[in-house]
Amino acid sequence: MLEVSSLCAGYDSKDVVLGVSVAVGEGEVVAIIGSNGAGKTTFLRAVCGLLPVSGGGVEYEGRSITDMAVHEVARVGISFVPAERHLFPEMSVAENLALGAFPRRPDPSQLSLVFELFPRLEERRRQAAGTMSGGEQQMLAVGRALMSRPRLLILDEPTTGLAPKLATEAYESLAALRTQGMTILVAEQQVPLVLDLADRAYVLENGSIQMEGQAAELRDNPTVQRAYLGVA
Amino acid sequence: MTAVVLDGIVLGLQFGLLGVGLTIVYGMGGVLNLAYGSMAVVTATVVSITMRSGWPAGPAVLLGIVTAAGFGLLLNLTIMKPVYRRRGEDRVLLSLLLTIGVAFIVDGFLVWRYPIEALSLSVGGDPVLILGVPMRTGSLLASAITILAGGALILFFRATTTGKAVRSVIQDEIGARLCGVNPAAVRRLIFTLSGALVGLVAVTQSMTSPVPISAGFEITILALLVTVVGGLGSIRGAFLAGLILGMVNAMSSFYIGAYVTTIILLIAAALTILLRPSGLFGERT
Amino acid sequence: MTTDDINIASGTSGVLRGSGRDRRASYLAAFGAVAVTAFVLALLPIWIGDSRTLMGVAVAGLLFACYAIAFNLIFGSTEQLFLAVGALAGIGAYTSAIASDRLGIPFPLAMMLATGLAMLIGGGFSWIAVRRSLGIIFTGIVTLTFSLAFDNLLLGQRGLTGGETGIVVDAGSDTFLRQQIPPYYVFLGLVIVYLVGYVLLHRSHIGWAFRTLRDDGVAAELAGVDVARYRIYAGAIGGGMLGFAGALWAHVEGFISPSTFTFVHVDVPVVVMLVFGGIGTLMGPVVGSAVFTFLGEILASFSQMRLIVEGALLIALFLLLPHGVVPVLRSGASGLWRRLRPSRS
Repeated sequence: MLEVSSLCAGYDSKDVVLGVSVAVGEGEVVAIIGSNGAGKTTFLRAVCGLLPVSGGGVEYEGRSITDMAVHEVARVGISFVPAERHLFPEMSVAENLALGAFPRRPDPSQLSLVFELFPRLEERRRQAAGTMSGGEQQMLAVGRALMSRPRLLILDEPTTGLAPKLATEAYESLAALRTQGMTILVAEQQVPLVLDLADRAYVLENGSIQMEGQAAELRDNPTVQRAYLGVA
Repeated sequence: MTAVVLDGIVLGLQFGLLGVGLTIVYGMGGVLNLAYGSMAVVTATVVSITMRSGWPAGPAVLLGIVTAAGFGLLLNLTIMKPVYRRRGEDRVLLSLLLTIGVAFIVDGFLVWRYPIEALSLSVGGDPVLILGVPMRTGSLLASAITILAGGALILFFRATTTGKAVRSVIQDEIGARLCGVNPAAVRRLIFTLSGALVGLVAVTQSMTSPVPISAGFEITILALLVTVVGGLGSIRGAFLAGLILGMVNAMSSFYIGAYVTTIILLIAAALTILLRPSGLFGERT
Repeated sequence: MTTDDINIASGTSGVLRGSGRDRRASYLAAFGAVAVTAFVLALLPIWIGDSRTLMGVAVAGLLFACYAIAFNLIFGSTEQLFLAVGALAGIGAYTSAIASDRLGIPFPLAMMLATGLAMLIGGGFSWIAVRRSLGIIFTGIVTLTFSLAFDNLLLGQRGLTGGETGIVVDAGSDTFLRQQIPPYYVFLGLVIVYLVGYVLLHRSHIGWAFRTLRDDGVAAELAGVDVARYRIYAGAIGGGMLGFAGALWAHVEGFISPSTFTFVHVDVPVVVMLVFGGIGTLMGPVVGSAVFTFLGEILASFSQMRLIVEGALLIALFLLLPHGVVPVLRSGASGLWRRLRPSRS
């Protein structure tokens, strides 16, 4: 579904992502793991159009979206949930969700799906997003992303700032989404959580892919274990 | 006393709407449009000239407002492009300087060609008694229109999809883009709306007192003061600040004098910047 | 127009990094430029000395050059957007006029008083801006409100200031200041003094502080540079320069009115002149004011066009030529110099 080929991107004319290729098939959950500063966030932002691409290309369902602006990418069926979430702090949960569906009006059935997934959001539907806790904001960010009925959900470090229990809950929600047929691409620092969920994974360090394969294989890989799983 | 208060409300409503037009443009992208007052006098000129050549008031006013809206759109499509390429303080500074340039060109041209022109719309009918004070129908109509416009704006921003999209860009532009909102399109809309609003204010103001073509800079400064006191980017703030400053203006003019009144308004804005830069309702700067 | 632009235009690279010889060379270049300009301008009355009008225009041009040099100091050197150039000059002018005519203070003393007041206010603006951490925009808005308030004050206080009609300044009317030619040389002298002062200031430790705080205010603070103090210096000195020039004008011209010192009449042209000439450069203010005074004369018959031209120039300059003319001339000149000099190994 998503083909990223030799992508290069960076800031101030200095590339941080140096020729990364990633593929995501329909219905798959693909993880990108790597330490801080590896380039995961830069990579995802470039794929979604938040950053300009300096080399390589991105294809989605056969068409090139390399030079698409992020608001156009959002309209072709890809929803991106960045680490900073970028919610609308003075708008209510309901309004945030409604905007997720832009330019269409929010679909009630999609809304109930989101509320089913995140019952706490329904409880707080009138609450201003800026006053919610980290965990609730994360739920809202994902919920908002779902309102446009995306076919591909991209998340950047969804567990940022979440306590372990909430992080696990977050991944349970993602698992539920996967069962419903959602294709997911997620960059994550909390490696055990994400490798449990993912089908395949890539290891990104210093701007390039060091390793890739089935998630189960990577979990058993001694290098991965030493570097990311805290196993001596 | 009641008369002064009522005058203050009438004036305050005008000030409020005036401030809203300028503040939404700032809220959109940290841009100060100092050609704002020029848009108002463009409307005044258009309406005045067309009515002079026989047009009835309705179509003339419509044309005037549409012209101002178009002016706003034109500004956005031309001068604003290099402005939006900058960030933060540089962006505001450049927008300020370029729009002053536009204001000078437009004001200079209009004052040159129509030096004694002033828009004045007379609304017929006898004064109506409000709370024992005879109020001119012009003032009442102006206030009614302003309240309706304000209400329509509130409805637009709260209830319509586009309005929410506008607010989303103000609150978190990246978040808005992630939702599929095109900020450039929203900016075009807001600039156009800003022009229409200031044109409307020119028209309603002319129902209470003549609006001379030379008033461009004055209108811009007034809008700036209201916007600063209300909080740059805050619509609520602009309305409230407008009402307060309008009241202050009416009282001060009545009890003290014209020049001191202006000084008081200026001091109000300066004090706001010094003591509470975010204004009444503005975002934390 | 970014703060980077200001740094580039003012040639941050250069003076302090050179060897002794380079430093002397740049002093030479600076004073040389001033001397040449002084010489050329001193000759001007040969051609226009007969015409009272033209001499008046020339003196006004020199006055604006003084304004521009002061604004260059405040905005170019320390990035403080004081939109109160006219107001500060007006404070100088009115204070001196009122003090000498109404209070009987001898006018040289009155001028000192006026200058002192303008210094206080200019420094005050900087102090407030620093205390309240006002950025460029808010400083601009606050100083603009001051300008407008001052204008309204002048218009409103008819008893003191003569209101819209202005006041005739008697003090100084029996001196050479009111003759046809001498005021020109007086103001030329002032311009020279201001230029020399500018050079000396920027070559001193104060100038070093200016450059550092422009480059990176935070780093400067960490390095021990008291940013606040230097900004206040710039505001006070610039304010004083404006006040003195305004006061001098009052006694030379013999008549002042609020419209002489408004934002539209002074601040906007000064900004245009300075940007055209080159913010942060030494000769930028002079070049800018010379060109604009000249242009103003040509367009004199189309006085309404003046606003339109200023507006168009503002836009064109900030979009196309934000560094101004002098850096362009300078690189052209240094390119030429490099080609003419025998190459060193």
